[in-house]
Amino acid sequence: MGSIRVENLSKSYGNVDALKDVSFELDEGEFAVLLGVSGAGKSTLLRCLNGLASPTEGAIYIDDERITGPRDDVAMVFQQHNLITQLSAYENALTGALGRTSSLRSVMRWHNRQEKLEAVRALDTVGLLDDASKKVRQMSGGQQQRVGIARALVQNPATMLADEPVASLDPASAETVMAYLRQAAMERNITSIVSLHQVNIAREFGERFIGLRDGELIFDGGIDDLTIDVIDEIYGNVSTDAIRRGRDPEEAHV
Amino acid sequence: MSSENDSLGYKLRAYFGIGYEGEDAIDQRLTDLKRAKTIGRILSLAAAVGFLYLFSQALGQVGFSIDEIVRYWPAFSEAMGGFFPTTTYLGIPFLDFGAYWSFISNPPGYDHPLWDYAVTTLAMSFAGTALGFPLALLFGILGSERVTPFPFNFIFRGVMSTIRAIPALVWALIFIPLGGLSPFTATLAIGTDTIGNMGRLFTDELEEIEEGPIEGISSTGANRPQTVVFGMLSQVYTSFIAWALYIFEINTRVAVTMGLIGGGGLGAVLSAERRFYNPTNIMATILVVLVLVITVEMISQRIRAYLRGDWEPMSTAELFLGFPRRMTESLWR
Repeated sequence: MGSIRVENLSKSYGNVDALKDVSFELDEGEFAVLLGVSGAGKSTLLRCLNGLASPTEGAIYIDDERITGPRDDVAMVFQQHNLITQLSAYENALTGALGRTSSLRSVMRWHNRQEKLEAVRALDTVGLLDDASKKVRQMSGGQQQRVGIARALVQNPATMLADEPVASLDPASAETVMAYLRQAAMERNITSIVSLHQVNIAREFGERFIGLRDGELIFDGGIDDLTIDVIDEIYGNVSTDAIRRGRDPEEAHV
Repeated sequence: MSSENDSLGYKLRAYFGIGYEGEDAIDQRLTDLKRAKTIGRILSLAAAVGFLYLFSQALGQVGFSIDEIVRYWPAFSEAMGGFFPTTTYLGIPFLDFGAYWSFISNPPGYDHPLWDYAVTTLAMSFAGTALGFPLALLFGILGSERVTPFPFNFIFRGVMSTIRAIPALVWALIFIPLGGLSPFTATLAIGTDTIGNMGRLFTDELEEIEEGPIEGISSTGANRPQTVVFGMLSQVYTSFIAWALYIFEINTRVAVTMGLIGGGGLGAVLSAERRFYNPTNIMATILVVLVLVITVEMISQRIRAYLRGDWEPMSTAELFLGFPRRMTESLWR
């Protein structure tokens, strides 16, 4: 469950081509890291995979079923966590069950025991069992992102997508959050794509790497193929020499 | 050259930045800034003149006259004497609270003490707010562009604007055939008025919610109604309750004025005492109004502070006994 097939995917916003003819496949349970600079098309790819954006050309299949809109078996973790900060960690985790709950039952908050247990179990998986009743707005950034992962897990997803989940966290929290994410994906055999811009974190947690540059797929391979040259290509020729020399700021600005 | 630079006209032109060429690039920029400031001052002056003109026209329209105030001041102060009866304790003149109290506790010609009328006023306000709340919620939510697509949300906004355009007292006049001159009619009017006012606040509140949680909820595969309830309404439900309490405060004041046109409660007592011209009794009733309105406001504001999350636990004793200290502190700083 959860195999992903992306076929000749293109996405334009007006006359800006965010993605150009991207194709790749992921097997069930694979953990892939999406690499690229800001604006390379990482978010657009993840939003297309989730169905929050629709492709201009090409198609995405999850378990050979074409993606046309958000699905409850495709879970998403956002950079800004996108939780309801006024509610508790537990209530936020429970919203992961909305996709398989009828409108009336969910609006009246008649969740069955099974769903409630799943929410608590998901909070346990991300190490927040003791903070279940805490309001999200009173939590630290790292804890909030773990609640975001818990909500994703309550969806019982076959596929999990994470858009820069640790970009706004300090290094220590980033490690913790990534470790929980990786572990949860492994335990539950969830096919995952995580976009990251920190190369060190990517190398530490990734097993498969997909590199985007200017909307084009320029790398797809394992950790052994992810050489310095490849990373340089993905991140462009960002010459830091000028800035390093830049004890003379005039020169660094050139 | 130097004699020209020393002339008063030259200095003035330089000061206001008009008709003055800068001596270099920096001076030129400064001149531009001065000119912009001069233009700003001229516009403010024009606005002030316009305001004073409209103000004097308005005073003329309502027949405002200092002469009349001067001429009738003795009559007014005599009437005030009625509002504030005096008595003497041990030869020292004091405000006669006893006269107020005897009217409040046992008003001649009425079946009940005044606080029973206060309860009627409070009941009108509370029932009206509660009756208006569900429709305010419905119209307020459907009036938001986030929930209802653009042209259609204006149907609900339009209904609320129309309701708001008619004051609560006029709504009471409209409902008189339905319930007669009674607290019931007044309650209906307050309820209708609430739909317009509270609904508007709800719509405004919904315009300010964050996009992230909405996207978060829809990413879970939730359908549209679920996204509205969880992604949008859960962001605003505490502020909705806070706004409802605020409208309840306002409605308590409106309920008093409803009595003036025959809606019952404290307003009706005020209206009757005005007709018999019993200034002491009017003042006693006003005191009860003050206590009622201030109590409702204090309770409502403490609940709203708690809902906003900036709640400082303070006992009721501290609220009153600590007042002189807090007052001193705020003056001292």
